[in-house]
Amino acid sequence: MFWRKTRAAIGRFHPAHQRLTMERTVSMASPPGEWAAVLASLSQHEATVKRRKWRLPARATTVLVPLIHVLSEDTARDAPIGIGADFRGAGVPGKEGPKRELPVRTRHIRKITEWYTLDPWLQVRAELRDGSVLEVRVTDRTRHRKIHKVNARNKHKWKTKKKAVQRIDARRTLPRDALVERPPAAPPGWIRVRRKDGKRTTLNATAKLGQVPEDKDQLQAILTVLTELFRWTRPAATGRTA
Amino acid sequence: MNPCGATTGFFVLGRCGRPSVTVCQCGRRLCAEHVDPQGLCPECSGAQGYADPYRPGWARGLRRSHYRYSASAYGDPNLYTTYDSYDRSGFDQGDDFDIGGDTGGDPGDGGWTDS
Repeated sequence: MFWRKTRAAIGRFHPAHQRLTMERTVSMASPPGEWAAVLASLSQHEATVKRRKWRLPARATTVLVPLIHVLSEDTARDAPIGIGADFRGAGVPGKEGPKRELPVRTRHIRKITEWYTLDPWLQVRAELRDGSVLEVRVTDRTRHRKIHKVNARNKHKWKTKKKAVQRIDARRTLPRDALVERPPAAPPGWIRVRRKDGKRTTLNATAKLGQVPEDKDQLQAILTVLTELFRWTRPAATGRTA
Repeated sequence: MNPCGATTGFFVLGRCGRPSVTVCQCGRRLCAEHVDPQGLCPECSGAQGYADPYRPGWARGLRRSHYRYSASAYGDPNLYTTYDSYDRSGFDQGDDFDIGGDTGGDPGDGGWTDS
């Protein structure tokens, strides 16, 4: 069997790390201590696994790992952090919407087929130390168009076009009787925030990005959206604990 | 008891308060969990670069730059100064210790976040 030693090494990784390597997905809800074990296992990956097929997805190292660190800082030792990540991309079955034909107005274009793919590649839920619950969902939405052209000499061409946008939804459900105050400055134009009062006030921040950020900018985009949810509560709470 | 002066949390800021075992070069007292291998506090360690992203406590080094970036992105200078003053105010809440005396300087001059 090829790559026998590498397979054996992968077999010794944390189960979540194994699944990330082989299936490119993660689904786990565990306290920060268990996630620290996953991070420790992930730190061995580059030195152990050389096969291109089993490389960690780029978003795993640029988004997932830092996000685990950030969430671990804000959750209590026994509070679970739930993360569902799917790095398989938008091309897998189940993410593709129905296809439809667009009306054609020029004689050289015979047919235009359009469809959308929705790729909710990151979902997070964490119970924070201050009693609030944080939920995040990041979705890539891609429009595909396949254009069938025929020129005057009856030569056929098929062209495809893609346009991807991203939506980041974040929600923070505050503990009862939490003090909520509108921040003095409005968020950036690309972030919309809604406040819903009730027994537990809920803050929703939604960002629609005109293009999918590059891997190196993706974490900052998510953290910037999350920041809005924490600007509404005073940081001057007493009883600070580790 | 000399409590650890490290800031905890990323969005939900807090302070550690565990018994300290050493002192950072910036004067902050640190417990065993918040001191890095070079004996630095998370802020001083973060100022030297983010190093290995798999290192435990890596986000503590990212925190300050994130607040600074967010204050700029939101056009809300209070965001960064709130983080700064919050760190300081945590030590002025009627506790029986005062970080100002330990640092040997005016905590209002940004010593916490500019260390």
